[in-house]
Amino acid sequence: MLEVMDLSKKYGKVRAADHVSFTVPDGRVGILLGPNGAGKSTVIKSIAGLLRFEGQVRIQGIPSREKAARKIFAYVPEMPSMYDMLTVREHMEFIRRAYGAETTDQEVEELLARFELLDKQEKLGNELSKGMMQKVSICCALVIHPQVILLDEPMVGLDPAAIKELKQMVLELRDRGATVLISTHMLEMVKELWDITFVMNQGHILGSYNREQVGDEDLEELFFAVTGQEKKDQTAVGQEKEDLTVTGQEKKDPAAAGQEQNGSAAAEREQKDLAATGQEKQDSEKGSSNAGEGGQ
Amino acid sequence: MHALLYLTGRSLKNRIRKALHKPVTYIYLVIILFYLLAVPFGVRAMFEDIKLDSPEGMTAVFTVFAFWVIPVNLVAYARRKGLIYRRSDAHFLFPSPIGPKTILLYAHSKTLLTGLFMNIVLVLGCIYVFQVEPWRMLLYFLFTVVVENTLEGGIMLLLYGSERLGERERKWIVAVSYGLIGLLVLLAFVTCLGKSGSIRFEDVLAYLHSDGVQMVPLIGWYVAVLHLLFLGPTAVNVICSLLYLGTVVLVVWAAIRMKCTGEYFEDAEKFADDYDTVLETRRQGRTDVQLGRKKKVGKASITYRGKGAKAIFYRQLLEYKKSRFFIFDINTLCALIAGCFVSFLCSGEEGFAAENSSLILAGAMAYVTLIFSAYQGKWGKELLTPYTFLIPDNPFRKLWYATLMQHVQALVNGCLYVLVPVIVLHIPLSTAALTVLCYVVFCACKLYILTVAEVAVGNVLGNVGKQFFQLFLLGIVILLGVLGAALGMALGGINLAYVVMLVLLSLVLVILLTISTLCFYRMETLKS
Repeated sequence: MLEVMDLSKKYGKVRAADHVSFTVPDGRVGILLGPNGAGKSTVIKSIAGLLRFEGQVRIQGIPSREKAARKIFAYVPEMPSMYDMLTVREHMEFIRRAYGAETTDQEVEELLARFELLDKQEKLGNELSKGMMQKVSICCALVIHPQVILLDEPMVGLDPAAIKELKQMVLELRDRGATVLISTHMLEMVKELWDITFVMNQGHILGSYNREQVGDEDLEELFFAVTGQEKKDQTAVGQEKEDLTVTGQEKKDPAAAGQEQNGSAAAEREQKDLAATGQEKQDSEKGSSNAGEGGQ
Repeated sequence: MHALLYLTGRSLKNRIRKALHKPVTYIYLVIILFYLLAVPFGVRAMFEDIKLDSPEGMTAVFTVFAFWVIPVNLVAYARRKGLIYRRSDAHFLFPSPIGPKTILLYAHSKTLLTGLFMNIVLVLGCIYVFQVEPWRMLLYFLFTVVVENTLEGGIMLLLYGSERLGERERKWIVAVSYGLIGLLVLLAFVTCLGKSGSIRFEDVLAYLHSDGVQMVPLIGWYVAVLHLLFLGPTAVNVICSLLYLGTVVLVVWAAIRMKCTGEYFEDAEKFADDYDTVLETRRQGRTDVQLGRKKKVGKASITYRGKGAKAIFYRQLLEYKKSRFFIFDINTLCALIAGCFVSFLCSGEEGFAAENSSLILAGAMAYVTLIFSAYQGKWGKELLTPYTFLIPDNPFRKLWYATLMQHVQALVNGCLYVLVPVIVLHIPLSTAALTVLCYVVFCACKLYILTVAEVAVGNVLGNVGKQFFQLFLLGIVILLGVLGAALGMALGGINLAYVVMLVLLSLVLVILLTISTLCFYRMETLKS
């Protein structure tokens, strides 16, 4: 389980994350969505322990900075960086030793084979392309058999075969009871993966949605409805286009909302609540984005 | 720790294996070997001249180094600098279960191997230069490697890894460290002036060996250990050496007890990012990006007059307008300094004769161009941009418009170069104008040599090899200029010397421009 509790981070006077709270339970795939500059990377880096922050992050109930938490936690950053003078195989070996993982050589080979890296295992880090680096980064994260894994834009730079493999891997991790959190812009790529979605903007969690409660609703629509952004490819969505347009108008003028559209009920409810109470959006979300509670 | 040993060992092994396959490694080894053998002879002669070729002299030299190095290290660690991290460390190490303190020690150890090598060289060199008994140097070596490194490691952990020190406390440490340097220098002045009313070398030496200096905490105690090792025991240096050892124990104890959860990762990650960016730009031969310094860019606008390759010229002009110093850069500063230096050399009663000033002006110009041959400026950057190759225009126009601003820059720098000599040395305007023209042509040759070097050896010898090749070609151009100048001087004086030099250099420039255009065309077709 991954618990983020009241996480805040300031860069100078700018609050990149403001009292962010959410939970991803065991055996679930969480998706962190948000436009550029929403604060996703700040949250991700804070969870990974790369930033100083206020608040708490717990991994399987253990504070994230503790060794026991780090041993069961894996992180795939957005921009992979390899050691120039280690080969692919040596990267895996190094991680295995650093985490004290009891992964066998055969398991390592299987991983490399799944991501088509077997013939590249003797290549040095500085000889790899961006896509290859991403694959190695994913393999290094998986080699420790993590209980909680954090993937920041993991599909960027991957070829279709690797994306398919990664999706399969995520589902396998979930089925094994691991907690997965993916931060991404590529909504299409995570459509079939997500169990819980957290939508972020301007340093706040605007809403959290549970798949069972939202049903078959399109992730894209949820995202655009909550963030108030326009979906550009509107001609392609037929009737949904009208729904979305109406939703968009309602978002701009929450007080005038007269009806709940099926596609974005949660977001609209939130907007109406805000309009009614006169509170700022972020205040309404403070500490209340627990995925277990489902949509707002 | 086991994993970090694996990382270090494997990286080193692969690095050596890779280096052995590169011919440039052997060239470096020869150069390093030459310096290692040649430097001690030169240094010994120098220290003999100033009568410092003794253990006392060496202790004094080491004391001066200690005055600077110890406080500067404190400052670096207090500012969470002085340790090298790479992006790969931020990716793999920081989120791992390896302890934050161990990671700090790992980063510190990256400098230890180089330090160990330098210490071996230093020990051997000092035995020769300062005639110190070998057993004393061996003791010093052990002291440095074991005790000094332990103390430095402990201080590094306490300052860099501390989560209790706030910004304010860190600023205080920086101020106190610099204050300590100031105080030691001030004390030197006061002591020396108090003794004889002037600063004499022997007074400075007496100050460096004084008991007072050895009593200064940390720096002085280190100096006391040096005195004990090289000059024998005294009551003061024995007590202060014990204090030094006590400090080591105390610091190590405090460092072990200190809580460190990895809050420094944020600063270390930022450093890693900056460091890798700087490394990338250096590999491209660029020097404009400095570690930890952000380039300030202002607002500006431009009206593009023309199409095709001309757009490159206007884009560069826009970049210069946004730049803090417009078209003025390191070359401008060097041109001004070189002009002042030539004026200083040729003026006054003891200066060179005035009739030589024009020749010296030409020589200094060639020298300045030569030492900055590796500085590539905008043209170097253009060669890395795909847009330069993609713009639909012919290679010659692209080459011309992409370098035009740098010719303008050279013209301005050339004018600034002759400004002071014209005022101070009264160099005729005609000679000054010819000097400026020669400067512009020299700089243009340097620019086009870059393209030739890129195509000829860029992929074979790497960046450093390419720079050597550039230097070699520029040396030939300068040699031709010198021959032209000599011919002109023999035929009819300084102005004719400049004219012949200018004609010869212009011919070379035309040839280089032609080859460069062909090379550029080749690069273009290869890239596309």
